[in-house]
Amino acid sequence: MIIRPELLSTGVCLPSSPDPGSLFWIYRLWDLRVQLQCKNLHEYMKELSPDVLDRLFNHPATCLAVYRELPKLAQNYVIRMLFLDQPLPQAAVALWMKKDGQRSCVSVLTGLRLWHSQQLQGGLQGYTLNPVFKDNLRTALLGGGTAWAEEQSALGPDRHARDIESLDRYAMERWEVILQFMVGSPCAVSQDLSQLLVQAGLMKSEAGEAPYITSAGFQFLLLDTASQLWYFTLQYLRTAQSRGMDLVEILSFLFQLSFSTLGRDYSVEGMSESLLTFLQHLREFGLVFQRKVRKTNVLKTLVQRGPTDWVSSLSDSELQIALVALFCEMLYRFPNVVVAQLTRESVQQAIANGITAQQIIHFLKTRAHPVILKQTPVLPPTITDQIRLWELERDRLQFTEGVLYNQFLSQVDFEVLRDRAQGLGCLVWQDVAHRVMVVTPEGHSEVKRFWKRQRSHT
Amino acid sequence: MHGENTQLHAERPQPICRMVFYTFISSEGEISLLVVVVDVNPIWWGQHAQSEPEFTLSKCLDAVMVMGNAHMAMTRTNQLAVIAAHCQDSHFLYPSKRLKGNDDTSSSRDGKYELLSVTNNLIAEEIRDIMSKTELTGNSTDTLLAGSLAKALCYINRISKEVGVAQEIKSRILVIKAADDCALQYMNFMNVIFAAQKQNILIDACVLDSDSGLLQQACDITGGLYLKIPQKVALAQYLLWVFLPDSEQRSLLVLPPPAHVDYRAACFCHRTLIEIGYVCSVCLSIFCNFSPICTTCETAFKIQLPQMVKPKKKKPKLPA
Repeated sequence: MIIRPELLSTGVCLPSSPDPGSLFWIYRLWDLRVQLQCKNLHEYMKELSPDVLDRLFNHPATCLAVYRELPKLAQNYVIRMLFLDQPLPQAAVALWMKKDGQRSCVSVLTGLRLWHSQQLQGGLQGYTLNPVFKDNLRTALLGGGTAWAEEQSALGPDRHARDIESLDRYAMERWEVILQFMVGSPCAVSQDLSQLLVQAGLMKSEAGEAPYITSAGFQFLLLDTASQLWYFTLQYLRTAQSRGMDLVEILSFLFQLSFSTLGRDYSVEGMSESLLTFLQHLREFGLVFQRKVRKTNVLKTLVQRGPTDWVSSLSDSELQIALVALFCEMLYRFPNVVVAQLTRESVQQAIANGITAQQIIHFLKTRAHPVILKQTPVLPPTITDQIRLWELERDRLQFTEGVLYNQFLSQVDFEVLRDRAQGLGCLVWQDVAHRVMVVTPEGHSEVKRFWKRQRSHT
Repeated sequence: MHGENTQLHAERPQPICRMVFYTFISSEGEISLLVVVVDVNPIWWGQHAQSEPEFTLSKCLDAVMVMGNAHMAMTRTNQLAVIAAHCQDSHFLYPSKRLKGNDDTSSSRDGKYELLSVTNNLIAEEIRDIMSKTELTGNSTDTLLAGSLAKALCYINRISKEVGVAQEIKSRILVIKAADDCALQYMNFMNVIFAAQKQNILIDACVLDSDSGLLQQACDITGGLYLKIPQKVALAQYLLWVFLPDSEQRSLLVLPPPAHVDYRAACFCHRTLIEIGYVCSVCLSIFCNFSPICTTCETAFKIQLPQMVKPKKKKPKLPA
């Protein structure tokens, strides 16, 4: 809880415009360490506008995806109401579950507009599932309605059909190209993609120069592929609307792909222009495989198996070695073995780059050799503890946002203001000798008002 | 600290593949495997169709499929198996051997999630197959439930071996029971129950007709739920409400109160429930009447009847 004065001069704080005529400068402190957050679908959907949500439920695939992402107990609510055509009294619904989990479930369902309150005949309040959602989820579970994709038999057998293994390899290669590009290897990626990486904050680019990796990018590299993919996709969706794409259309298509069968052909006939662009991007990520067959484009989806399988084969690639080198000291290279040493310096170097100890440990765990994987715990506790300790060594500062008051003209002024701040309970730190004090941002306005009043009195 | 990073074998990527695959799923959550055992005893269903024509075997299977679909739709890692318990054999409806090779079944013609339509088509085809092949020879009319349960346990065992050590798997068995208990299977049934208990596998029972003492004990011992449904037509709703949630969620839900478990054993000779009886010391079979030879394990008992005790004879002392 200590903010040291030297921090104020090291660029962590940015001076806001000085109050003209005032006796002190106001500084703001920011915690500049940004943690890369990987949201799940549910958190993402919550941010969408109700209008977009309602339109999303127009496709069975999106309804199924939403259902899948619900908390287990909320799923239970949905499935119990799925086949009821009349609204249920809220009192009855409240009896379904013991008190503990109820509130969160109800708020999730309401937040995603999956159910509505409705007045029953007797004047009671009742719940009814969103009718569009209900119909489409029923369709996804039990059939009916129209097919998601064109009839497969219309395409006929593909003479150059790829097997699942080669598709996996293809997906892995594509994704690796992106990661390699991030590490700075010369790889050909499209303008769109490098722009997307910059927009996602994973890379930075200065005018005329090739983009380079940021600290968020380092953290990104250490995530597992599923999280990487998800993070990247979210960033893509976020910028989709600015590209003039229809978010609903893209999301439905994405969900639809994710429920398709790996290795089967789907036709792209009848897709809109913006969907085709989207498809080209997915192709660049390695999520779909596309080929022209007799003027009909054939899609193979990789999304489903995709996230689970690929990193595997990354393990024997240069990239994996580059990743290990991010936090290890490389000692020897052999054709099939790399020897690296985790040292205090190497780990601290990594931590300085924004990688956390948790990420390093997770990386080591998930990429462990099968033999190592059999022992529990996978990593010896001495090692995990040491990595954490090394992080703590650097982590002795705790950042607290605050406003700095300094350059008081008299000791009395300082003491009056300090006592006031102390009385309000918003004083973070003070240095009597230099007449400097820091208050919390919440207390700032109150202290400032007090000071102005004080000054007009004297 | 060198060992962890030595997975870079260029020549043998295969084991590495598998390894990473598992660790990835584990980040998604454990696998939940649900094995549904459906009693398809043709005699019971045939008789039942006459007395209650609105609830037939196909309706029952529809309900099972709805529940199976709901289970598989919940998470990607949820798995399903369906076993039909017939009076002649136990048959896997899903997954079945047809899954590979036959491609016609897999195309979805409507808005259903593709995986689900593949599953449903398979189940429908398999059950049609079984029913058309049924030839009642007359000597076996009881559902081979114990056998089906044993098959389910074997399947669970296989799957948990296949996914490896690193991946957690949670399995449970749901029995949908139509026909009456069969006392002949008592021993096998009990063995199956204890095997399931040892493996931490729940056995749930959804009973359509008369109460089953065996299943009551199975559910009680393994921690599953036993429910005799009051309305057969609402089977699907009961399945979705009571049996779809896994044991973790059940602790938060308000469910029907547990049934009173009848722990009285059925005697092996007349199938009557008894509180006090005779127990074979070798195989633990229970009888209401005494018989000198155990009918189950054919052990002959040497009995010492009290009146047969002869007065002790003193050995004649030999003259010194």
